[in-house]
Amino acid sequence: MLQTVATPGSLPETHAMLAKLGSACLIAGGTAVMPTLNGGTDEFTSLVSLRAAGLSGVSIKDGSALIGAATTLSDLADVPALGFLVPALETIASPTIRNMATVGGNLFVKQPYGDLAACLIALGATATVSDGTNTRIDPVEKLVASRLGAGEIVTQVSFALPAEGSFKFTKAGRKAMNAAAIVTVAAVVTATDGTVTQCRIGLGGVAECAVRARSVEEALTGKAFDRVHVTEAAQQAERDIEPFDDSYASAWYRARVTPVHIRRALIGE
Amino acid sequence: MEKIDTSFFSKEREADLFVVGESVQRADARGHVTGQTQFYEDVTFPNTLHLKMVRSPHHHALIKNIDVEPAMKVPGVVRVLTHKDVPNNWYTILKLIGVGPDDEPVLPEDRVLFKGEQVCAVLAETEQAALEGARRVVVDYEELPPVFDVEEAMTSKPFKQAGTNYFVYEGHNCRRIRFGDVDKGFAEADHIIEHRYESSPIEHAPTETTGCTAKPEGSGRVTVYSNTQALYFTLDNMALILGVPFNKLRLVGGTVGGGFGGKVDVIVEPIAALGAMLTNRPVKYAYSRAEEMQVSSPRAAERLYIKDGVMKDGRIVARKITLYVDAGAYCRHSTYGTTKAAAHMPGPYSIPNVHVDAYCVYTNRTPSSAMRGFGVTIGDFALESQMDQVARHLGMDPMELRLINAYRDGDTKAHRKTVDGAALVEVIQAAARQTGKELAPRFAAMSSYQREA
Amino acid sequence: MKHSVVALTINGAERQMLVAPGTTLLDALRESQGLTGTRRGCDQGACGACTVIVDGKTMMACLLPVETIDGATIDTIESLTPMDGLHPIQEAFLEGFATQCGFCTSGMIMATAGLLAKNPDPSREDAVRAISGNICRCTGYEAIIDAVLDAAARMRAAKRDKAA
Repeated sequence: MLQTVATPGSLPETHAMLAKLGSACLIAGGTAVMPTLNGGTDEFTSLVSLRAAGLSGVSIKDGSALIGAATTLSDLADVPALGFLVPALETIASPTIRNMATVGGNLFVKQPYGDLAACLIALGATATVSDGTNTRIDPVEKLVASRLGAGEIVTQVSFALPAEGSFKFTKAGRKAMNAAAIVTVAAVVTATDGTVTQCRIGLGGVAECAVRARSVEEALTGKAFDRVHVTEAAQQAERDIEPFDDSYASAWYRARVTPVHIRRALIGE
Repeated sequence: MEKIDTSFFSKEREADLFVVGESVQRADARGHVTGQTQFYEDVTFPNTLHLKMVRSPHHHALIKNIDVEPAMKVPGVVRVLTHKDVPNNWYTILKLIGVGPDDEPVLPEDRVLFKGEQVCAVLAETEQAALEGARRVVVDYEELPPVFDVEEAMTSKPFKQAGTNYFVYEGHNCRRIRFGDVDKGFAEADHIIEHRYESSPIEHAPTETTGCTAKPEGSGRVTVYSNTQALYFTLDNMALILGVPFNKLRLVGGTVGGGFGGKVDVIVEPIAALGAMLTNRPVKYAYSRAEEMQVSSPRAAERLYIKDGVMKDGRIVARKITLYVDAGAYCRHSTYGTTKAAAHMPGPYSIPNVHVDAYCVYTNRTPSSAMRGFGVTIGDFALESQMDQVARHLGMDPMELRLINAYRDGDTKAHRKTVDGAALVEVIQAAARQTGKELAPRFAAMSSYQREA
Repeated sequence: MKHSVVALTINGAERQMLVAPGTTLLDALRESQGLTGTRRGCDQGACGACTVIVDGKTMMACLLPVETIDGATIDTIESLTPMDGLHPIQEAFLEGFATQCGFCTSGMIMATAGLLAKNPDPSREDAVRAISGNICRCTGYEAIIDAVLDAAARMRAAKRDKAA
């Protein structure tokens, strides 16, 4: 049974609370933790809230975005320089949930949720992780797989702003809005003279965590950026995913449609 | 809103309807838009205990032992109720209208028959304490093989404490309808068209979950604030289960945050009232969203086999229907739903030879119960799909096929009731008009009141 | 287990309450404050029946441990009803037959209030999006979406009248 809820006012205080309280769980927006608590749980007996820890806010500097981990998805969507992310953010839950859910929390929600993580992987984002004494910087695709160790907190996510028009996104769900992912595809593709020179692809909904589609990236780089080559490269996705069954779609279906949605994300058809 | 055409019913009703077809403001709308409408959960009492259930993790298992001691050690836990506390543990909801036998325990004794079945109830000072108490109860189960398929269940070893895996209707293993001679009809038919239809359980998913608060009064009565759709049914069943006169119970309700038939089972009230009587404190028992989705009764899954004997001109001369209603683990309202399904066959058509076997079958699935037109809705899906299949097979227009076979006033239905107030012909004619479809003169001239010469 | 005192400004009034650890804003409103117009449908942020406005933004009260929002300003359905008559959003829902059982209505209306505070002239898609976290099981969404747009029109007209 829950014994304590702490709302520390700074990062050092947050680390101190995590160390002091036994069996503590970090809570940011609460959209994933609170359903667990409300249903009764033995997973934790205290909550440490990041709401007042000073970890929210976005700054744009030298072509890069620095995003506090406790920034809500709504606040992220309000930053003009991040306008390219709005169509992706609007596919995540509902406006009411986006007013609560945070960038940091979105990295660790159970799939098939957490579409922003797929976007951040495509953007080549890194996350800053603090353990109270040291900080390390991990690529997002590494962090979502390894998850946080005891006492660790993600404080910030950052990435270089992509060239205009290079960020691609599509999400397949069971309904138009407020749907969990069957497949989420995010990508940043750079093409010079019709040839793909660089590409990074993040996938959501098709593995235990958001993943990078390295096989597709490799197959596409150096090829013509057209339907034939994108379709062919997208077939490689099966090497990158480990889809699962849930009430939204079967693993078989997810595997079958992933290449189709990669193609749609990349070339819009 | 389109005006109601009252001309069809000029013979039987006052035609000067002034509310039907008009928009009339809901009497409760102001309460809804201001948030003042009072649902059961809006009435609270000091000193209320919260009730949470220990539920079976197995579809089918024997209960070897229930150890409530670890739960009693959780701070705030006041009492745990088991079947031993229930005065009359065995019941069936429809016993009030003479249906039997009692096939469902309020709290199970030696076995659980579906996943999520309630096992024992923890009463505590707070919801979180009740939840923790429920997690601490240790139940030893011996798992048994479950049966999920209705046809498999018909031939499996009976799994209930008593009786068969199907409801017994006056000595028969199904509700039967025999009208004419189907074998003769099939022999005479130009075509035999047979198909199988099946549905899955459908959950009502009301936005407000099922729940109630039972409050002991100074007068010795217990008042139950409930969102049941069936206040008197609930009151009477509670009285029988609790072994108290009806006038010792009072039900307050009628405001339901979505029901659709999902709130007519008597599950939460008897246990909450029992808790209130045994602790002399108000007791609240509200389903969580997960409980609502998992254990509240859904619409029954049904499987139908329909075999038609059809003449070249579209007349259906024989229809044989085998229908299985998946009641889940307990009877609840399914025996009634199955009878209703049988009586509804063969649909709104006059067919001279009809044979119906409608089985109400028990499986280790969540007990099913009422939902909007239950017993008829899935049957109609199957019947009307079959009519389209027949039309396609014959290359006929589906509206005309239905008109050829439509029942009329004065016809005798398969279950020996005389048809009165039929409107199928007129409804199809109106549908044809509204969709811009021209019916052949003989169909346009048809009437439900009399057959054409 | 230690209870804490939390101060909130609820519907314009300062309130203090003593809460057990992990008490949600929903329970605080309903049980400590008797403000039962905010409904409980799922306790997991899925149904939207408990939508309220926290510091100007729509949020789900069941997902907020009240100790983490000490000092916040909360507006609930009860704050909307004027002393005389109804708020234009309430009028639009009432006259547009956008209620049936009424259980989702408070949340729908607060989600609408959140939308119209930000966007006084929403498109139909904006309206759909604004209530996409709110589940209705009986009325049907069409009447509700119509009511959201009608409410916006009523509020714009009222603002024009005031300016004129």
